[in-house]
Amino acid sequence: MHLIAIRRLMPLRQKLSLTAMRVVKLIAIIMLGTCLQASAGVFSPNITFSGKNVSLEKVFSAIYKQSGYLVFCDYSLIKEAKKVNIHVHDAAVTVVLDECMKDQGLAYEIVDKTIVIERKKVTVAEEAAPVPPPIDVHGRITNEKGEPVPGATVSVKGSSKVVATNDNGEFTLPGVDANAVLVVTSIGYERTEFNVAGQTTLSLQLKVGAASMGELVVTALGISKEERKLGYAVTTVGGDQLNKARETNVALSLGGQVAGLTVHGANGGPGSSARILVRGMPSMNSGGSPLFIINGIPMDNSQRGAAGEWGGSDNGDGIGNINPDDIETMTVLKGQAASALYGARASNGVIIITTKTSKKGQALIEYNVNGQWDKAANYTDYQYQYGQGLEGVKPSTAAGALATNRFAWGSKLDGSSTIQYNGQNYAYSPFKDNIKNFYRVGPSLTNTISVGQGNDRGNFRLSVSNLDNSSIVRNSGIDRKTINLNATQKITDRLSATVFANYVDEQDRNRPQLSDGPGDPNNFQFLSPNVDERIFQPGQDAKGNEIVFSDDNYVTNPWFVVRNFINNTGRKRLITAVSAKYNFTDWLYAMGRVGYDYENDRIFQVTPTGTNYSFNSAGQSGQLNGLTTLTTSELNVDGLIGVSHKITDDLHFDATLGANERKNNYEYLQLNGSNFIIPFLYTPKNTLTFGRQYYFYQKEIHSGYYSVDLNYKDWLLLTTTGRYDAFSTLPSNNRGIFTPSVSGGFVFSHFLQNTALNFGKLRAAYAQTSGEPIGGPNNTNSGVYQTATYYGSSNPFNGTPVGTINGANGDVQNNLPILPNLYLKPFTLTEIEFGTELKFFNSRLGIDADYFARKTKNEIMKPTLSESSGYNSTYVGTGSTQNRGVEVQLTGAPVKGKFFSWNIAFNITHVTNKILHTDQFNNNITEGAYRPLNANTAFITGMSGPQIIAYDYTYDAKGNKIVDASGLPVASNKLTPFGGVLPTTYGGMRNDFTFGNINFGFLIDYNYGNKILSATSYYTIYRGLNKMTLAGREGGITTGVDASGNANTKSATAQDYYQRLAGISRNSVQDGDYIKLRQVTLGYTFTGKTLGNIPLFEAISVNLVGRNLFYISKKAQNIDPESNFASSVQYAGIEGTSLPSARTFGINANFKFKK
Amino acid sequence: MKNKKKIYLYICSAALLTLGSCTKKFDSINTDPTQAIAANYDPNLLLSSQQIEYFNASTGYSGAILLQSMWTQILASAAYPSYYSNGDKYVASGNLNSYDASLWTHCYNSASYAYECQSLVKTTPALSNLSGMSLIMELLDIQSITDTYGDVPFSQALQAKSNVNLPIYDAQQAIYTSMLAKLDSVIPTLDASKALPTNDLFPYKGDVGKWKKFGYSLMLRMAMRLTKADAATAQKYAEKAYAGGTFAGTADDAFVTFDHADNYNNNNIGAYQTTEDFSEVKWNYNVITALKLSADPRLKVIAEVPKPGSDSAAMEGQMGDTTFAAQKGMPNGYDQNGGATDISHEPNYPGSSGSGSVLNVTGKYSRPAIGEYISLNLPAFAINYAETELLLAEAAARGWSVGASASVHYANGLTAALQSYATLSAYGTILPATITAYVASHPLITTSLTTELAQINTQYWLTTGTLFDFNEAWHNWRRSGYPLLTPINYAGSFSPGAIPRRQAYPSTEAATNPINYQAAVTKMGGTDLYTGRVWWDK
Repeated sequence: MHLIAIRRLMPLRQKLSLTAMRVVKLIAIIMLGTCLQASAGVFSPNITFSGKNVSLEKVFSAIYKQSGYLVFCDYSLIKEAKKVNIHVHDAAVTVVLDECMKDQGLAYEIVDKTIVIERKKVTVAEEAAPVPPPIDVHGRITNEKGEPVPGATVSVKGSSKVVATNDNGEFTLPGVDANAVLVVTSIGYERTEFNVAGQTTLSLQLKVGAASMGELVVTALGISKEERKLGYAVTTVGGDQLNKARETNVALSLGGQVAGLTVHGANGGPGSSARILVRGMPSMNSGGSPLFIINGIPMDNSQRGAAGEWGGSDNGDGIGNINPDDIETMTVLKGQAASALYGARASNGVIIITTKTSKKGQALIEYNVNGQWDKAANYTDYQYQYGQGLEGVKPSTAAGALATNRFAWGSKLDGSSTIQYNGQNYAYSPFKDNIKNFYRVGPSLTNTISVGQGNDRGNFRLSVSNLDNSSIVRNSGIDRKTINLNATQKITDRLSATVFANYVDEQDRNRPQLSDGPGDPNNFQFLSPNVDERIFQPGQDAKGNEIVFSDDNYVTNPWFVVRNFINNTGRKRLITAVSAKYNFTDWLYAMGRVGYDYENDRIFQVTPTGTNYSFNSAGQSGQLNGLTTLTTSELNVDGLIGVSHKITDDLHFDATLGANERKNNYEYLQLNGSNFIIPFLYTPKNTLTFGRQYYFYQKEIHSGYYSVDLNYKDWLLLTTTGRYDAFSTLPSNNRGIFTPSVSGGFVFSHFLQNTALNFGKLRAAYAQTSGEPIGGPNNTNSGVYQTATYYGSSNPFNGTPVGTINGANGDVQNNLPILPNLYLKPFTLTEIEFGTELKFFNSRLGIDADYFARKTKNEIMKPTLSESSGYNSTYVGTGSTQNRGVEVQLTGAPVKGKFFSWNIAFNITHVTNKILHTDQFNNNITEGAYRPLNANTAFITGMSGPQIIAYDYTYDAKGNKIVDASGLPVASNKLTPFGGVLPTTYGGMRNDFTFGNINFGFLIDYNYGNKILSATSYYTIYRGLNKMTLAGREGGITTGVDASGNANTKSATAQDYYQRLAGISRNSVQDGDYIKLRQVTLGYTFTGKTLGNIPLFEAISVNLVGRNLFYISKKAQNIDPESNFASSVQYAGIEGTSLPSARTFGINANFKFKK
Repeated sequence: MKNKKKIYLYICSAALLTLGSCTKKFDSINTDPTQAIAANYDPNLLLSSQQIEYFNASTGYSGAILLQSMWTQILASAAYPSYYSNGDKYVASGNLNSYDASLWTHCYNSASYAYECQSLVKTTPALSNLSGMSLIMELLDIQSITDTYGDVPFSQALQAKSNVNLPIYDAQQAIYTSMLAKLDSVIPTLDASKALPTNDLFPYKGDVGKWKKFGYSLMLRMAMRLTKADAATAQKYAEKAYAGGTFAGTADDAFVTFDHADNYNNNNIGAYQTTEDFSEVKWNYNVITALKLSADPRLKVIAEVPKPGSDSAAMEGQMGDTTFAAQKGMPNGYDQNGGATDISHEPNYPGSSGSGSVLNVTGKYSRPAIGEYISLNLPAFAINYAETELLLAEAAARGWSVGASASVHYANGLTAALQSYATLSAYGTILPATITAYVASHPLITTSLTTELAQINTQYWLTTGTLFDFNEAWHNWRRSGYPLLTPINYAGSFSPGAIPRRQAYPSTEAATNPINYQAAVTKMGGTDLYTGRVWWDK
């Protein structure tokens, strides 16, 4: 290392740039930190010197000559120093130095043969320096408008003293060093430091922070850090963005608000699950959901049942249980460096939910009421020129009408009287209100009361909430009750305890079946243009038997469905966390935490008596699809030790070392049976045949982790973490994995002055996380029991036992075995991230941008095998997915006045996903299919995933479409990729305006670059509803060439032609691009004066809200481009026969009571 | 400072302790408590599994009744659009892909149980009978698959555990060669002195003698499949099978009776008794005509005309009219859509039944009799004595050495056929005297080989079809060409102008085994069509 010596050559040093000097100094100081203690007490040669009014430079020169001791310091210190009078003979170096430093405000340290000189620090109580007596400080903190800032945190820099301001913004700090520096933080304001400088009465003003500069964000392990200090990207969304215009699943409210994040739900009615993807599709098989952490503990977000091509209902996920009123913030840890501390569960990113607490010095009584109304949106644009019928002929008999209710291949709609399925005649003319009439306006009412109080010793908040929701589908909706408690108490000055408990009782009535026909209430979407769905009421005869409404009795009459089908899912859930923290000293603490998430579900699914397809030959009908109870639990026990240490005044060191034990348990018990003996009595003992299912799993993960933060003067920041996870689900020779991360931030604006840029940081991170094995009983994806072949037994056959092999359902029929794999190990995800955070014009403009590149390795794939291999699927650790992208978040405050202000937040993300490797043969991995079953999605090496693969036409060498002898186009026998289903460019823009007490805000989000596999397209083409089927209705269609390239002369009827086209499934692929007006809020807050004479309230705010309002632009025809029947990645971008999406309008009123 | 170091030391050692300990229990945590491992499992349990999955293939709700039953013109349906259009008109409904894949999936699954069962007992010579019977079941499955699709995986099939995930498609000829050789060598290993399998769903209950007969009957069936493609091999193995001993009476029939109470349904009936479809399914014109022309006593037990009116016809407990004169079969290819192919334009249209709101346009056509067929427990045959005797009749007619003359075998076959409806249901019992009289008055006409083949194979078609083994009826019709059937030519057909002669490969194969699938398609001239022909059908 190079030390710059102060000798006669000194002036040369002035040529060195300031920056270089600082860097060198840093290095020198690091050396000091490590060697100081070791060098104390070392013998040193003595000095003889005599001089009056000599410069320090001269003295140091002498010291160097006589002792070889080099002096190392910032040259300006010596230049500015007073001259000294020194007379010493054979004195120790320290004596000379003490003499020199007297009254200079300088301090020195000796390291080996180097003397380092620095400015003396005021905050450090140097033994040598005289300490002024401590004083009591009283202060008042206001904002720029002069209003008090209650609940602000005032801390004494360098000590553990902290107080909060009271309602008047006042605080008292007894016994403070007269030279102390106070640090004041408050959410929404810039962090500000004040010098006490001996004053006992202070008046301090805070600046409103335009963005999050200086704000604390919650990071991994629940540790709050200043955002400016992070080496990776995080985004926080405040609760106010989640609870005015609501979604029954709060995760959906994150859509469009966070760069890098996409959120889309399933069209399965209220309480449906959400697909939440951070930075593209993180991996092929992890399901995509980020890990949710609520107040420091992981919470289950597993899907409880979803629709597929064979139907089913969306039974919701875990995050959907959380009441938005209880959420203070949701923080999205996007980069792997941010989430690395969670090890094997962090590869999809982490979302940290912090629930509301009371602020210190505040009492709180608050009541919030929210009323919203959902209304079905109709995105269809069908043809209304031709009516029901086949081959150009309208029906002439009731049977013919029944068979053609969903076929619009009839004659021109001419208003003529035409027979219907019920034998009555109706006008053969357009009818367009089926969606409007069949779906109702679904009201939803949420009432939340919260109370709380906070003081120096602790705080608590308790809330009780009730959601009473009705779906747009009749007899369907949610009833959800939530009790939330958050309490912290200081037991002694060293020991504090926190209890968090969230109890949810959610009862969902009649979650609708989607996608396939049986029990699906949504099939009136495909009625012929002249058919009014009301003629199918009540859907049943006097005996309660279903009246079939179409050619296919497996497509249940929707009126019968909404009256009779039962699909109730109930959940009782308790999420608790108890933690205790003990501060051994002001720099060392230990914390223990037990978190438990326990879900108890009861699902009751009945195909009712009278359902047409369910009759047996004895006239008994109905089926108990299942009476199911399942319990899911996760226990997390954490112990961690934290050290916060100053190596020097400028270099801070924080470290955490911890261990975690996690236990997951799952138990599923179902009774089912078919054909009810006593009609309408839906109980397990009343069925002719019985079935039962039982699944169980348990697993454990043991982990250890560390995190070290180094912070040099708040402008150079370095963090490193590491985690080791050991899994019970893996073979013993391959059980554990270590994943590291390192990230750094450099606040370059520290070195800039007087520019428009008031904050600028560069950051970089490298991190690795891992992912858990997949597979498990009942599609739980728990990873258990995959390393051996298991054998079981199924229902006996006429008393003879029946065996099974590795059947996921333990059923010999329709359940091919899964091949085990003894060589599984967790996959890894490695990410590099570079970013910058810039704030201009006093933070009126902010830019937060990131480039990231992430790649997975050894992803555990479950490729479908050809059944001819003897197994239907297997597990192999060969997958690799890559995501590269840029995300930019812009924040701006174009207008910032006392009366009027305008804030904009805009974000854009561009992600390129690429599948690098699939299974061991690099085969396509089949994902989901749409109900017509002639196309599906798949992971294909070299392409973005999931990719739609569909049948194309066959073409001759010249590119002409080949037709067969009937003049009908011929489908290719190979599936061709037609694009990925996940967007490549997406984001949103939020605008918030304040005019005095009025606020107005709206959110627009957009989505580009994805394709949709649309069953609606298939059905509308096949059934003649699609406008494209108008061409050729009269006179047929003659197109294409025959196999030898000659022009086709054979004319096909429109019906034959378009029905063939429907089979050529590329015609079902649509474009998913859209821009949508997602949310609008308009509110008024009554406070103080405006509240007038109402004595009860401190403030009342009322907001009119709208959500999912309309598309500013979209390309997909007849459908909502966001429509999905399932939220999983497997079925992403696949659409059909689900609920129409709903527009929501409502009002939110919040009452803050006077204390 | 010393204190600080101590604390660090404590922290580090505590952390190491936490990490290093307690992954010992992980193996037991990761053992499924709800299932067994090989060491404590009785492989006998897997014999019944093989049989169930074989019958799920042959009776598949999503297979035979929707496809082969009408391709072979045994049944008919004038409902269109409907999923019966796949069979009746060769017009694809939305789920054709899944109907098409059903047999493949279930048969390979059955074969996989058989393969695993053989693997489990490899080291247990005492269970060699179980192993041998499992191999016979496996060959039964593979024959069914190759007969349906053509070239299919066999030599490398079922070996995913040995890391063969992409089995090649073997040529059908090679498959037959191998299957016959395997059968030939395995049947003699069955040994009554060794342990008998405990979970046999056939009426044999593990009886070695009966399994041997079943093995040779299967060999006979395989051999006779080759008459067109390789008559010499056919003769060799037909004679070998006869010499080994095929079925000697209906008591040897290989069948199972389903168990609806335990969720094992005859899925042909699962489809037939589905309320809406129930009124649509009719006997084909050819079946009723054939039975009427010969005054066959079977007509009374298999056919009935529903009571008048769509309401009565929909009642599955309401038996119909079984009088001889009332029976009418419905030709394939018609609909109720008012156009040229409307059922009312059918040349022999018997008229509708009922009137007004209960008008039943197809109400006067005969349907499969409720008394005989409606049970979800309806037995299904793998191979029965009637079939083996009819096959032997053909072998004898061809001059091969199979003991008795063609006429004797034919009479045995016809007798057995008429007896077999009682196996399905007591309702189908035909009095022995009636059978004797009918068989005596309907001998094999031996004027020429052609007439013999026509008579034998038409009888085979009629018997297997009306016993609801539609796949076997289809295979034998394709091989023999009898009876002469006229294809339907309905617009939008996936098999234009021809009765389907194979099933397209499951659509999933293109994704799960792409190279071998493409190679197989290329061998067929680049197209995977229903009109293509398997090797023995060339």
